[in-house]
Amino acid sequence: MRKIFPAEELARDSRFIRQTNEQRLNDPRGARVAGGNTSENLAKLTPELPNGPDRARALMHGIFVGEIQALEGAGRTCWDFEIGDEVPLALKMDMARQCWDEARHCEISISLAEHMGTELGEYAENGLLYEASCNPDPVLRLTGVNRALEGLAIDVFNTMKEFGNMAGDPVLEFCEDWMLADEVTHVKMGSDWLRRLTQNDKERLDKALEFQKVVDRLFSFNGFRGEDDDSPIQLTRRFRELAGFTDDEIDEIADMSRDARAEATA
Amino acid sequence: MTDIKRPREPFAPWDRRSLPGLFDVDETARRVGHYKWVEIKLFEALGGWVATIPELDVKMRLGTHCYHHAWHADLFDKRLPELREMKTERLTVPPNEHMVEFIEAMTEPEAGHMTIEKLVGVYRVLIPHKIAAYTYHRNGTSEITDMPTIRILDFILQDEFNDWREGEMLIQSMIESPEEVERAMVHQTKLEKIMLAAGGIAGPGSIGDPYVEVVEQN
Amino acid sequence: MAQVSVKPESFEMVFYDAAVIGEVVSDVAGRLGVDEAITVDIDEASPLGRSKILSYDPIDLWVDGGAFEDTRRPRQFGQSRSRDTIGRLLLRVLDRRSGRFDDAPTDEELDLVQFAAWDVHSVGRLERLGIGGQRKRRLYQFRNRHGFTDVADAAFDELWGSSELSWSEIERISESCRS
Repeated sequence: MRKIFPAEELARDSRFIRQTNEQRLNDPRGARVAGGNTSENLAKLTPELPNGPDRARALMHGIFVGEIQALEGAGRTCWDFEIGDEVPLALKMDMARQCWDEARHCEISISLAEHMGTELGEYAENGLLYEASCNPDPVLRLTGVNRALEGLAIDVFNTMKEFGNMAGDPVLEFCEDWMLADEVTHVKMGSDWLRRLTQNDKERLDKALEFQKVVDRLFSFNGFRGEDDDSPIQLTRRFRELAGFTDDEIDEIADMSRDARAEATA
Repeated sequence: MTDIKRPREPFAPWDRRSLPGLFDVDETARRVGHYKWVEIKLFEALGGWVATIPELDVKMRLGTHCYHHAWHADLFDKRLPELREMKTERLTVPPNEHMVEFIEAMTEPEAGHMTIEKLVGVYRVLIPHKIAAYTYHRNGTSEITDMPTIRILDFILQDEFNDWREGEMLIQSMIESPEEVERAMVHQTKLEKIMLAAGGIAGPGSIGDPYVEVVEQN
Repeated sequence: MAQVSVKPESFEMVFYDAAVIGEVVSDVAGRLGVDEAITVDIDEASPLGRSKILSYDPIDLWVDGGAFEDTRRPRQFGQSRSRDTIGRLLLRVLDRRSGRFDDAPTDEELDLVQFAAWDVHSVGRLERLGIGGQRKRRLYQFRNRHGFTDVADAAFDELWGSSELSWSEIERISESCRS
């Protein structure tokens, strides 16, 4: 088995259809998120929206494929790097732990998708998340995945938890709360390893944080994730702080989202 | 009122643990180091394979099992300093080059259509050999002086049995034709031969030697 | 056989074929016994899934392009989704023409809860005709509007399994479980 497994070769059964980034970005109707179902104007995801339940279904499918890719990404970090020369054993063990968590998240999101009436493979899959976890530098990979993507997962899960609460859906709220707890752990893992591995390497730290911004920017398009009232996915300050984000870092992500929205509407 | 001065046996009547064991401290450390090396190689492989496996249930199960073996490696890693090995990496090594060859052969399958081979390598060859070696160690070591290793092995064996059962059931569920039976057997045979040369996961003597030397007397 | 007119006749942003859409609409209409001219306006620029009836007589339907899209293959035409959308709209036309829905609010006046209940009754009938389905999807939408309760689930079953309810019956069932 080779080191660094390309995103386009991720193994899937026949139910899953991959949408390439080129296809996504070339959609003249605008790039879409989580299997589509954006509203005409940006709006926070709530059950009160006419298409709220369907958007939640599509987002849940997006979460499901995101969890598969997160599992695959964490698994590859166990394999792709040599212990000692490239990464400490403890980092790989954290990634193995994350594999288990992501496998559980797959099981949870499959069950939730079933609960919401969504079939596996009902929406196109985009490999963006896994692509971010293919970086050959383990520090950059961990920062991109555990701080940017798992950070996004905190925002998504909290939004879905609130959705479940508003809809009176005890199953959704219960499951999202558990997954949220795991994501805070994963982001904290990323924050801790970033600090430890770049303790005496300012240049590598800067590169890692820059890579994190690139990934954060990818998932902020059109203001999809932000802290404005109408941001579909709400930026979650409290849980991000628990996971080791500073106020400045959170402000920066919020600004990024506003810029992305201004850019889209310009 | 209880007579607190009444003498009792230091070992309760039902406590039949015995002091002697097959392994001294150095030998125990050597074996534990090999076990740790194997567990690391296994969790790395399971993690790496996740992306290459199209079957959703197998993909998720391997993600779960990946952590089990990382945890085993961690348990062995923590035991090594207690066995006088402060530089744990020194003993985290394969028992011989055949074991390295085994891991290379086991992790060779990558293509999406080779899930049977991937599972066979782990669940029909490596894990049964791990169960055998751990059981031999657990039953042979001193039940008093080396109880910490026994406790670790008991936890680990519990995982190994569960994972083996799940893996074997996945294999059985994936084999649907005589050709696939053949594929599984061919791969198992190939790996078993390498494992035979390695002498088990801790090298020759992994599960002891059951034969007796018979000296011919005339 | 229904005469179907699809607008636009050709598409720039999505890979739809007006002739194929016409065939699908005609087939659904035929299964529902609608034998008259139908116009379908498609806003191909919108990936959303909204739909509405612009006119009941003659039948003029309007849909977002997304309502006809294959969610697995963005920008590609999706047969089953289209059949579900068209089927629901045409059943609403037939319901309103039946006399059983004379007391129903206008489409503009219907709220989300009422829409959800009527849709369940429509899609249940469509499934039995082999046109649509996605029972669990509809159950989830219904629960979102009526509550995640056993009472709501029983109401869903009644709406789904009944044939030709009147508006007052749909309202009664819906109101019985609103949380």
